[in-house]
Amino acid sequence: MAAAGRNGIELAGVSKIFGQGESEVTALSDVSFSIRDSEFVSVIGPSGCGKSTLLRILAGLIPYERGSVQVAGEPVHGALDPVGVVFQTSNLLPWLNVEENLTLALRVNGSDASAEQRAAMLGTLGLTGFEKRYPHELSGGMRHRVAIGQALIRDPAVLLMDEPFGALDALTRDHLNMELLRIWQARKKTVVLITHSISEAVLLSDRVLVLSERPGRLIEDVSIDLPRPRDPSDTREDPRFGDYIVQLSELMGVR
Amino acid sequence: MKASANRGLLEGLLFFVVLGVIWEASVHVFDIKPYLLPAISDIADALWQSRAIIWENSLITLGEVLWGFLSAVVLGVLIAVLIYFVPLARRTLYPFMIALQSIPKIGLAPLIVVWFGYGLSSKVIMAFLFAFFPIVISTLGGLGGVPAHLEEHFRAMRASPWATFWRLRVPSALPNFVDGCKVAMPLAVIGAIVGEFVGSNDGLGNLILMATGSSQTALTFAALAAVTALSLALFYIIELLGRLVWWRSN
Ligand SMILES: Nc1ncnc2c1ncn2[C@@H]1O[C@H](COP(=O)(O)OP(=O)(O)O)[C@@H](O)[C@H]1O
Ligand SMILES: [Mg+2]
Repeated sequence: MAAAGRNGIELAGVSKIFGQGESEVTALSDVSFSIRDSEFVSVIGPSGCGKSTLLRILAGLIPYERGSVQVAGEPVHGALDPVGVVFQTSNLLPWLNVEENLTLALRVNGSDASAEQRAAMLGTLGLTGFEKRYPHELSGGMRHRVAIGQALIRDPAVLLMDEPFGALDALTRDHLNMELLRIWQARKKTVVLITHSISEAVLLSDRVLVLSERPGRLIEDVSIDLPRPRDPSDTREDPRFGDYIVQLSELMGVR
Repeated sequence: MKASANRGLLEGLLFFVVLGVIWEASVHVFDIKPYLLPAISDIADALWQSRAIIWENSLITLGEVLWGFLSAVVLGVLIAVLIYFVPLARRTLYPFMIALQSIPKIGLAPLIVVWFGYGLSSKVIMAFLFAFFPIVISTLGGLGGVPAHLEEHFRAMRASPWATFWRLRVPSALPNFVDGCKVAMPLAVIGAIVGEFVGSNDGLGNLILMATGSSQTALTFAALAAVTALSLALFYIIELLGRLVWWRSN
């Protein structure tokens, strides 16, 4: 839709019901929002409220009951080419090493990354020297980083991420947060980041969408008016940062 | 790790040596007739005396087993892929195969000999029949056992069905397939021996029948030892090849 721009996202009245009869679960209820081209939007909400379901719908991986979904100007009926996905669980193939896993999304479509691209991505992820290791030889955090790199190395116009940094320690998390911002600013991507960390959402995003308890409804759409470029320590010292944290925590019922 | 493996091997060997000594001693002490139970030393003697004939027949049985096993692998994998991907095959071939599997294959042996004669082909078919089913079932299990989140991941990457098959389904099915081969190989040996029992002029199964028929019980045991060695060696080869598939679902 033109309103959302070339690589925007447009959701109108989307509901999702799993199962039937007795075991029926409404995961999403009448969710509408639009995300502009190159906007960075985070989605937060209590566990089980339908965040992963929302991401799967945006990625064209599951059907939805009502409403309409458009990504990058196309109605979503299946996975779209300009979209890259990072799942909540790191989906590495145990028989491929780091380098092979990193370039998998390219290679299944008949292309590959140059040696420089690979080296640069490994550097960004802090995985230089691990290119020949297999997933079972990596820590959980390293596996997550490979999975993130697998989506980034394709340079998708729309990047959908489901709690990608949840398994990482605070330092690595800060580092990758900043790398993500750097890549986002340099490459002009539309990013949807699902996270359970309110401070991560505020630190990174232009807007934060808050979902309610299941069935997930959009209860608030908060614009984060903090200057860019952002930086973990400077931005967190901004008094408005604290205000946003308080506001979102209240919405989430944390306080 | 290494030391304990060596120790396990040593203990296993020792156990066999003790059993052998008990066997040898009992035969002498209780004066058991050699045509009932020959002493280990007599069996060793028979093995050595008849080494040429045992070797010849072993090669024949080996050929039957290998052809039967390899055709079971090729056809079994093809059928499994067909059943997995083609709904019509799942509705027709699969129940047919289950029915076929329920027929006692030993009972089929005389028919197979009538149809295919005393030569190589009837034994290959018997070995094939014994090995085929475990290959199909294990391959099917492997193809169907791909974790849902990986399938979803491949859909998200817009991988073609072809790429998904070769890069996801085949590697995830391989460990199961290898397990199936480990079950199928000893079964193929049994199939070939059964075929030889029912109708043949050579092979280790035939040698066992001939030796027993002429009360050369030591030679029967020698031939049995050869069958066991053959089966173990083939199993070990599968085990070694299977190590190429080092990834296991974790
Ligand atoms: N494939 C499915 N079948 C049935 N129910 C599902 C399925 N996927 C998710 N759900 C249910 O939908 C709800 C939302 O799940 P999810 O989107 O994973 O939540 P979140 O990611 O916010 O924790 C949960 O109650 C979950 O049990
Ligand atoms: Mg989730």
